[in-house]
Amino acid sequence: MTEDPALTAEGLGKKYGGRGRGWALRGCDFALPAGRICALVGPNGAGKSTLLALAAGLLRPTEGTIGAPAREHLAYVAQDKPLHPRLSVADTLRMGRELNPGRWDSALAKRVVEGGGFSSDTLVRHLSGGQRTRVALALALGKRPGLLLLDEPMADLDPLARHQLMGVLMADAAEHGTTVVMSSHILTELEGACDHLLLLHGGRVRLDGAVDELLAAHTLLTGPVADLAPHTVVESRATGRQLTALIRHEGPVEGPWETSEPSLEDLLLAHLRTTEGAPA
Amino acid sequence: MSALALKGPYWVTVRQYRRTLWLTGALVLLTLAVIGGLRIWDLQTPDVYLQDGYSAPSDENRGFRTLTLAMDYLGLGILFVPLLAGAFVAGPLVAREFESGTYKVSLTQSLSPATWLRAKLLTATAVALLATVALMGAFRIGWSRMAPSGYPSWDPHPYAATGIVHFAYVLAAVAVGALLGQLIRRTLVAMSATGLVMGVALLVMGAYRWSILPVKTVTAPAGPSLWAPGHGLVMETGLLTSSGTRFDRMICWEEASRTPGTDGGGDLWSKIEAQCLARNDVTGQYVDYHPESHFWSTQLIETGVLLALAVLAAFAAFRVLRARHP
Repeated sequence: MTEDPALTAEGLGKKYGGRGRGWALRGCDFALPAGRICALVGPNGAGKSTLLALAAGLLRPTEGTIGAPAREHLAYVAQDKPLHPRLSVADTLRMGRELNPGRWDSALAKRVVEGGGFSSDTLVRHLSGGQRTRVALALALGKRPGLLLLDEPMADLDPLARHQLMGVLMADAAEHGTTVVMSSHILTELEGACDHLLLLHGGRVRLDGAVDELLAAHTLLTGPVADLAPHTVVESRATGRQLTALIRHEGPVEGPWETSEPSLEDLLLAHLRTTEGAPA
Repeated sequence: MSALALKGPYWVTVRQYRRTLWLTGALVLLTLAVIGGLRIWDLQTPDVYLQDGYSAPSDENRGFRTLTLAMDYLGLGILFVPLLAGAFVAGPLVAREFESGTYKVSLTQSLSPATWLRAKLLTATAVALLATVALMGAFRIGWSRMAPSGYPSWDPHPYAATGIVHFAYVLAAVAVGALLGQLIRRTLVAMSATGLVMGVALLVMGAYRWSILPVKTVTAPAGPSLWAPGHGLVMETGLLTSSGTRFDRMICWEEASRTPGTDGGGDLWSKIEAQCLARNDVTGQYVDYHPESHFWSTQLIETGVLLALAVLAAFAAFRVLRARHP
């Protein structure tokens, strides 16, 4: 795992055309180290899809810069899994080979498509949502990208297929050191798979870092209601005299509380809930 | 249409639109077969001898009548080829990629967006030009029966179908389609807009193409109607006074019509008109015409105009692509 960033943003902003439309993304700065599996999280409209499309080179930033690998070294699967409807599955994979000469991994692409329960003669327009996802992922992985950008990749899949494809994806990423940026709503999909987190809200980066560092920097505590200074409170809930809080600790936590390290899900939910009401 | 020899984005384009390609090929072959078949049918009935070595198709010759009808449709069809080619490029080839989101797949492969668009446009251009050549061939097979060979054909259909200008229309249509398809990004709207632009281009050029080059004029003393020399295109005929100024024939027609008892013409009408012409010192007549040589000059100029449009539109199309997709 090298520490050269695979994806960087400096003052990145994107505003879509049309009157009255605000910034989809503004003032984003981050540097994603290579080889990470990065979860891109945030509520709807946070700018996740915009960020991925900018990284894929499909959009030009309105301001700032995004540093991504050249077109041949990245792959992108859009949220709606667009594919040419009149091509068969076999033709779609052949397209991958034709458009990525010298780098196409036919065996890998076939392996992803197999197990989908459809013949390779099937036209793409006759595929179910989950089957399309499989073909779209095969097209992306077959290219052997250094950076793989996935927008809500698993949303259409049943739990079994999701588990199997995540397995293929993770094994492949581990084997080739691929950097993966994956946006998702399904928090359990991210738990255990991702080692980096990028939380967007209102078009801005709210949380950015390695998952283990972020978890280590936060403490989940329960105990009597009291002043939590000097720690930063991410979220706190009081029921009677009992307090449950997620804090970003400054130094050791001392007090009458029971402390534990939060799970990734605790951390995300706490941040999502508090940024929900916060001004963008 | 062998997809085997094609590589990269060309293979993808041909594979994606294979049904349109087959349909185009089938229509072109059908046209050739119909015109060829009608020529053979026409041969079954001998022509009627008129006089002085001239002969004409017999009234009994249903083959010839059908061929005439088919040639009308074919001439019109050839005029529509650029509109169809442009609409296809604008809609299914370009706008649909953006409308359905498949551009997100196409533009994130290893090749550049410009390579992607170029492959699409070159494929469409090659097919449209081949179809145009084949349809023009069919037209010539029929036209050699309709008109004596070797003379320019000034009418809009043969002008398009026997000249070179139509190749430039096809190129311009493909380029305009590529530009409007990207700007509009909605399949049907982009198709209609491109059809409209090319239709307007055809109509405007049709209306003004004979005003590009200055006409030549011949004059003669008043007498039997003067005609253009050779097989030129008559643009205007009229009368001249002895000083050489053009005289509006309507003045005397109106005077004759106003005179009571001349309604519907007749000797009195002619007499009054003649008196009027003499009073106005009309002694000659003229014909403004385009000589045969203007056929190819006009073809070349019109081709130049359309090629300039094609180059501008293609340049703009690639600029738009670059501006939007780094």
